[in-house]
Amino acid sequence: MHRTLLTATTALCGLTTMVLAETDRGAVLTTYADIAAAAYADSLATAQELQAAVEALIADPSEATLTDARAAWKAARVPYQQTEVYRFGNPMVDDWEGKVNAWPLDEGMIDYVDASYGGATDANELAALNIIATPEPMIAGQTVDATSITPDLIADTLNEADGIETNVARGYHAIEFLLWGQDLNGTEAGAGDRPWTDYAQGGDCTNGNCDRRADYLSAATDLLVSDLEEMAALWATGGAARAAVTEDVDAGLNAMLTGMGSLSYGEQAGERMRLGLMLNDPEEEHDCFSDNTHMSHFYDGQGIWNVYHGEYTRTDGTKVDGPALADLVAEVDPALDEELTAKLDTTMAALGKIRDSAEDGFAYDMMLARGNAEGEALIMAAVDGLIDQTRSIERVVTELGLDSIAFEGSDSLDDPDAVFQ
Amino acid sequence: MRTALILAAGLFAAPAAAGVPEALDQHILPGFDRFVQETGALARTAEEDCTAGTVAPAYHAAFDTWMPLAEVKIGPSDTGALSVLFWPDDRGFTPKALNGLIADADPVVTQPEDYAEVSIAARGLMALDMLLFDPAYDSADPYTCQLVTAVAVDLARQAETLQAAWADEFAAALRSAGAAENATFLSPQEAMRALYTQVLSGLEFTADQRLGRPLGTFERPRPRRAEAWRSERSLRNVLLAADAAQSLAHALAETDLPLTDAAMVSVREAAAKVNDPGFQDIDDPQARLQVEVLAQEVRSLRTAIANEVGAPLGIAPGFNSSDGD
Repeated sequence: MHRTLLTATTALCGLTTMVLAETDRGAVLTTYADIAAAAYADSLATAQELQAAVEALIADPSEATLTDARAAWKAARVPYQQTEVYRFGNPMVDDWEGKVNAWPLDEGMIDYVDASYGGATDANELAALNIIATPEPMIAGQTVDATSITPDLIADTLNEADGIETNVARGYHAIEFLLWGQDLNGTEAGAGDRPWTDYAQGGDCTNGNCDRRADYLSAATDLLVSDLEEMAALWATGGAARAAVTEDVDAGLNAMLTGMGSLSYGEQAGERMRLGLMLNDPEEEHDCFSDNTHMSHFYDGQGIWNVYHGEYTRTDGTKVDGPALADLVAEVDPALDEELTAKLDTTMAALGKIRDSAEDGFAYDMMLARGNAEGEALIMAAVDGLIDQTRSIERVVTELGLDSIAFEGSDSLDDPDAVFQ
Repeated sequence: MRTALILAAGLFAAPAAAGVPEALDQHILPGFDRFVQETGALARTAEEDCTAGTVAPAYHAAFDTWMPLAEVKIGPSDTGALSVLFWPDDRGFTPKALNGLIADADPVVTQPEDYAEVSIAARGLMALDMLLFDPAYDSADPYTCQLVTAVAVDLARQAETLQAAWADEFAAALRSAGAAENATFLSPQEAMRALYTQVLSGLEFTADQRLGRPLGTFERPRPRRAEAWRSERSLRNVLLAADAAQSLAHALAETDLPLTDAAMVSVREAAAKVNDPGFQDIDDPQARLQVEVLAQEVRSLRTAIANEVGAPLGIAPGFNSSDGD
C-alpha cells in the first residue's frame, strides 16, 4: 500500500529527475554486487591454491611444504577479509559466515594443546576434547564415531558440537590452527610453531596421530573450498544474494549500510579490537595462531572503504568499479560525503599504522600486553576511527531516508509478532 | 496555509531533544552519583575487612547501583562499561586472569592506580562475583584478600572517572546537540537517537544474553552461563535492567507510556514466578518455562517502548555495540 502511494508521489514530483535518481541507486547496487562476486571468486581461487598447498604438505611433509601452505593461507585471507562487510546486511551471508570464519575457537577440541590451556570450562565441556587423538569421543552424552575424519563428520557432528559456538571445527581458523598450532609466546613476538613433523607419517610423526591430523586438515580445507563455491555462486549473475540486493533498492542500500556500520562498530572496533586489548589476551587476536591479525584488521577496514567507494582491487591487480554509494551521498549531501570519506581514510591510516608496525616487528601480540601504552594507542586510534565512522554511516542512513528500516537484531520492530514466535 | 507554516517553523526551532535533559537529570547523572557512593563504601569495607562474608553486602549494593547504568554504553561508558562488568565470558577469562595473578602473587595489587592496567577480566563486578562467591577462592588467604581489596578500590576509582566524564563533558555534548560547536551530535535528534538506541539494545541484551544464554535450548539448558549466578544475582539483574529501561523511556518520552508500564508489570509478574535467583534450576522444564516467559515479557517491554517512544518521535535505533556476532 505504501509503495503505491510513493510511486504516485514520485510521478507528481517530476518524472525525469526521479527516474534518473532511481537508476543511479540501482547502478550503485550493481557495483556492490559486482564487488561481492569478484571478492568471493578471489576468495575461492585463493582457497583452491591453499587446497593444492595442503595436498602437497600431506603428500610430502617438510619444512618447505608447510611454509608454502602457511603462505597460501595468508594469501587467501586478503580477499576474504574484504568480503566481511557483506555479512551483517545480507542474511544469506550472515547465515553462512559461521562455516568459514567462526572465531574465537577452543582449539583444544581439535588437537593437542599445551598444559597451560586448561581443560573444560563453565561454558564448554569439550574445550579440551582433542578429536584428532580421540576416535570415539563422548559428545553431549553420546558416543560419536569419529574413526574416519571426513568433511561430513566435521560439518555435521564436530562443528558447534554440544551447541557451543566456540567448538569451531571448520573454516579458516581451524585450518590456521592445524598449520601453525598454538601461539605460546604470550604477548611476546612470534606465531604458533607447529613442527612439519606433525604431518610426518610413520616413525617421524610428532605429537601423535599424524594420519588423523592430515585427514582433518585435508577435510577442513575441502570444506572451505566447497563453502566458498556456494557463496561465490550466490553473488554471480543469476545468484540469489545478488538478486536480493538488486531487486529492492531501499533494502539493498540498507544492506550496504548495515554491513558497513555493524562491521565497523560492534564487530571490528568492539569485539575484535577493543576487547582483545582490554583483556590483554593474545588469544583474543583474530588470527591468533598465525599472528596475521594486523592484516585481517586492515582488510576488514578496506572492505568497508570498498563498499562506500564502489571500488575493489582483485588479487590479480585488476579493478572492479562502478557507480558508488559515495556518488549518491555526494549528490544528496556533499558535506556528509566529505565527512565519511575523511573518516574512512582516517581509519585506514590507523589500520595501516598497525599493519606496518606489526610487519616491522612490533607484533600485534605485543601491542596487547598489559601496560603497553604504545600498542594501546595504535589499537585505540583504529577503534576510535571505526566508532567515529559509524556515526557518519548512521547519518547516511538518515540522509537517504532509510532510517525507518530497522537494523539487524531488531526483529520486534520489523514484525512485533516475531517476538512471540 | 499560514498557520501550517508557522507550526512547521515552530517545530524546527523547538529543542527536539526534549527528553534528553530529563534522561540525564532524572536517571543517568544521579545514577552515577549513587554508583560512586556505593563503590566507595565497597572499597572502604574491603580495606577494613576483606573476608567474603563482610564484603558481600557492599558488593550487592554497588552492583545494584550499576545496573541502572549498565546498558547506557555511549560516551565515556562505550569503553568504560566493559571494565565495570565484563560479561559474558565464554572462554573463562575471569578465572584465568585471577588465577594468573594469584599464581604469580602479582604485586600489581599493592598499587590501586596500576590495577587499572590489568585485564578487564580481573576487574570490576564479575571479578568480585568470582572471588567472593566461588569456593575455589579463599578470602582468608592473604594474597586473595589483597586482590579483593584491589578490585574493590579499582572499581571505586572507575566509578569516579566515569561519573566525572559524564558530568563534565558528555552530558554537555548531549545537551548541546545541534549547536554549531558540537561535533559529536549534529542535531538534537542524534542525541535522542543515541539514548533511545541504548534503551532498546539494552533490553535486547537482557532478553538474548542475560536470559537467552542460560536458557540455551530445551534439550541443553546452560545454567552456568547465567550472569553472576555465583552471587545469585541473575534474576535481580534482569529486573534492574528492565526497570532502567522503563525509567529512561519515561524520561525520553513526552507523553504517558501506558503500554510500557503495563509491559513492566508483566515483567515483574513473570519474575515473581521464577524460583531460583541464579537460574540454576532451569534443567527442570517447569522452572525453565518461567524463565522463558520472563524473556518473552522483556521482549514485549522492548516492543512497547519502540511503539510508544520511538514511533511517535519518528526515530529508529542506530547501530549499537552489540551488533556483530
